[in-house]
Amino acid sequence: MDQVRAYLTSQLLGNLAALLVMPILVVGVIQRVKARWAGRKGPPLMQLGYDLWRLARKRSVLSTTTTAVFQLAPYVVLVTALGSACLVPLAGGPALASFRFDFVWFAYVWGLGRVALILGALDTGSAFEGMGASREATFSAILEPALFLAAGALSLASGERELSLLLVPQVAGGAALVVWAGALVALVIVVQVEAARMPIDDPTTHLELTMIHEVMVLDHSGRELAAVQWASAIKLYVGLSVLATLMHPRTPGLPGVALHLGLCLALAAALGLSESLIARLKLRTIPQYLVVALSAGAVALLAALAMAGRLGILR
Amino acid sequence: MVSSVLLLASIPVLLLGCGLAIGLRSNATRAAAAIVSQAVASLLVLLAVVPVLTSGQALEVLWPWPAPIDRIAFRVDGLGAFFLAWSLPMTLLGTVYAVGYLRPYFVAGRNGGPHFALLNMTSVAFVLIYSAQNALVFLLAWEIAAVAAWLLVIWDYRSQKIRFAGFNYLVSTHVGLFVLVAAFMLLHSKTGSMDFADFGVFLGGDPPSLGTIYLLLGLAFALKSAFFPFHTWLPRAHAAAPAHVSALMSGVIHKAGLFGFLRFCLLGPTPQEWLGWSVLVFGAASAGFGVLYTAVQRDLKRLLGYSSTENVGIAAMAFGVGLLGWSWHQPILVVLGFGGGLLHVLGHALFKCALFYAAGTIQRATHAVDLERLGGLARRLPRTAVFFALAGLSMAALPPLGGFLGEFLIYAGLLSGAAPSREADVVLVGAAAGLAFVGAVGALSVVRAFGLAFLGTPRDAGLANLQHTAHDAEYDGSWAMSLPMAAHTAAIVAIGVWPDLALMIVQPALDLFSRHGGSGVAAGASAAGAASAAGAAGAAAAATVDTLAAQLGPVTWACRALALSLAVVLALTWRRRALSRRSVTWGCGYTAATARMQYTGSSFSAQLSSLFRPVLPVMTREHLPSEPFPQHASHLATHHVDAVERRIYEVLGQGEEFVQDTSDRIPEQPRFAFAAGLIAVVVVALIALGEGL
Repeated sequence: MDQVRAYLTSQLLGNLAALLVMPILVVGVIQRVKARWAGRKGPPLMQLGYDLWRLARKRSVLSTTTTAVFQLAPYVVLVTALGSACLVPLAGGPALASFRFDFVWFAYVWGLGRVALILGALDTGSAFEGMGASREATFSAILEPALFLAAGALSLASGERELSLLLVPQVAGGAALVVWAGALVALVIVVQVEAARMPIDDPTTHLELTMIHEVMVLDHSGRELAAVQWASAIKLYVGLSVLATLMHPRTPGLPGVALHLGLCLALAAALGLSESLIARLKLRTIPQYLVVALSAGAVALLAALAMAGRLGILR
Repeated sequence: MVSSVLLLASIPVLLLGCGLAIGLRSNATRAAAAIVSQAVASLLVLLAVVPVLTSGQALEVLWPWPAPIDRIAFRVDGLGAFFLAWSLPMTLLGTVYAVGYLRPYFVAGRNGGPHFALLNMTSVAFVLIYSAQNALVFLLAWEIAAVAAWLLVIWDYRSQKIRFAGFNYLVSTHVGLFVLVAAFMLLHSKTGSMDFADFGVFLGGDPPSLGTIYLLLGLAFALKSAFFPFHTWLPRAHAAAPAHVSALMSGVIHKAGLFGFLRFCLLGPTPQEWLGWSVLVFGAASAGFGVLYTAVQRDLKRLLGYSSTENVGIAAMAFGVGLLGWSWHQPILVVLGFGGGLLHVLGHALFKCALFYAAGTIQRATHAVDLERLGGLARRLPRTAVFFALAGLSMAALPPLGGFLGEFLIYAGLLSGAAPSREADVVLVGAAAGLAFVGAVGALSVVRAFGLAFLGTPRDAGLANLQHTAHDAEYDGSWAMSLPMAAHTAAIVAIGVWPDLALMIVQPALDLFSRHGGSGVAAGASAAGAASAAGAAGAAAAATVDTLAAQLGPVTWACRALALSLAVVLALTWRRRALSRRSVTWGCGYTAATARMQYTGSSFSAQLSSLFRPVLPVMTREHLPSEPFPQHASHLATHHVDAVERRIYEVLGQGEEFVQDTSDRIPEQPRFAFAAGLIAVVVVALIALGEGL
């Protein structure tokens, strides 16, 4: 009984509360930082929440070209975002659920969401949306191995097989530091691409020709648009949470929660700052940027080779 | 004893159906004869293999035969039972599909008898290949399957292209046959017998010729299963054949190559490490090249053909992991590798057949399979769209469908960290990253195929007019064509949320491997008593069940939760659908958008193919406008050609010139870098040889 209560209080409530509040807050922080940098006051921190509520009450407009796929896609994306959020420590403690090799499931669930979004885009028959869909599919093909290299290196280094455990940093010695740094670089780029953030994709651009993520959801409206926006906010927070978990030692109790949430908000602020300072990469150079992630993952894996110590043998 | 009679009784039943299909007077009765005889034979075979699947006890028959063969042994163990359990029912479904698919020919008066008879012969070949323990019978059945497949491919023999594709297949498959014959001759010369059991005794002694024999067998089976770079016949044959023949070849017949490989792995001794690594690398190459070619094809059936090369590659990667685990005495890797591989083989058979059937339905309804022309078919062929979508998502190995669990086990094996050295672990993680690349490009290929064929609007104005609507319903709604697709798709969904269904038939085969590769090896080698060996085998089998259940348990529940949420979402969206307002697609301010402006197959994969240009050559035929006022019509056509095939033809066709060109290319005054490189290669090769000798 005590275990159930402990689970409810620490794991379930903490993670669920973080899942509800933090994605919206993180987007608000990014917007606030960008606004301040540009000399504006900026929207309220919970603006995304108001937007979602407004959109959810609106009736949607569907293109006559589309089929049921188009309307279904945003909800599939939302389900996959929630499904991936279950595996990541959202509030510093343990994740909602974890099992062996859940990072494989994590990657493939994100893949399902991506496939749904791409199919929704192709369903409109729009040239612009096809363009975004093609880019998204191509970049993810190069990026997926980087995710597995980083996760595999961390898994070999730590001997853990669950995502929420293998992310916990164990920096002891030079080789371990290289593994950690390589994995961090690879995962930062993975998060940048998956959450469609700055050097890859400009979420605030106004030119459809240069968009990747935003162009795929041009035709969504009303409740579907709300689902897509909420899903991308959740994916962004899940990504930041992965990075934050990799950056702080696991601390029990409230200090751990505060550390984790604070780190996530700091990462969001850093993201906002970087988006104010740097421009988007040219589309042709993005594959080269992704190769950086691949190389970082490979470096991490090779460094795992040099690590002394016990092998994490699965039993 | 009853089971063995049932198994062998299926052969006369199939032959009777074969005779009736040729002898009867109308196509309807010929089809009925084939379908009924295949249904009876499938039932007989299933009745025969169910005891094998439940008890794990092999089924054995000895058939006396005149000299020089002496006796023919039939033996269905877990491995044979795994393949038999789905090969015949799937061939039956393919025959049902043929009735709908070939109807335009039947209406025109074509005799379908031989075609149905050949489908029956394919089933006969399956029964023999998966049960015979005699090399001669095995070769005979192998040849029956090959020739039947050839004759099935050239159904439209009046077209020169199709005859060429068929001939190409015939030559390739016979090259494979000769290599297989050479391997069997070598084995026969060493053992003086044609019996697999004697081969097993010989191979089990780890003879010096083991490497040669494995190389020959591997080559033959790789040609059969269309591994890269022996796949060149496959895209042509799959594009030329009727849809059900492509489906059966890709999904069912070519699995015989993998079966042969697994059979000889079981006959051989504990494999050495090099075998596992070679199979892993070979599989990874096949998966990588296969998926890149899958991503750029324009022809839907060629695309699906290349995807078979990719998927056998993935299965081979899994078997490589299993073999490595076997050589390292790591039972967990044996279970994950062979278990993942067998699940993947089953999943591939299920989704690939469904996809080819859907492609055939598209071809019947639109007379086109070119992704540059198709579009918007989800409105015209709604059922086919659902089947294609589910089977396609399974091909991309996305949860919660059947294709995911096999790949999950393969990933678990690659990432398990159970190798004896850190170096090996690192290489396996690298292979997992390669598999992730294959998976992501596979997902790209699937969204490209489904999104461009079924979504949007037709890219070719000729396909856009809706005068065919009545015609469409005829195909999309025809039971003969939709029943096989529905059956395959239902199985994919069922396996995804209830993998125990698949594990039931995978388990006995897996037990064989874990018995050899796990504790059973040690028990057998230490010459322990029969009872203790059997006990160890039983313990190994029990351990297999536990390991697989432990690995698959949580992820299965995750898949179920995902499937449930998706079903809820689907139900809710469906109810709200009528409430939405309708308008046109947002054209980004441009108001004269046409269907021709949509992204096409080539443009969708253009960026990917440009990144991998060295392995994905493009053939361009162009006549571009030249003057300010062009006098002639201009055109541009691009086509991704197979690099291996082109190379073969180049070498064969221009052998002299090839040698000449190559020798011309060698500079007279070798540059320093070239010389240094050459010396380095020679030194490395010598060191490698010295290391090996």
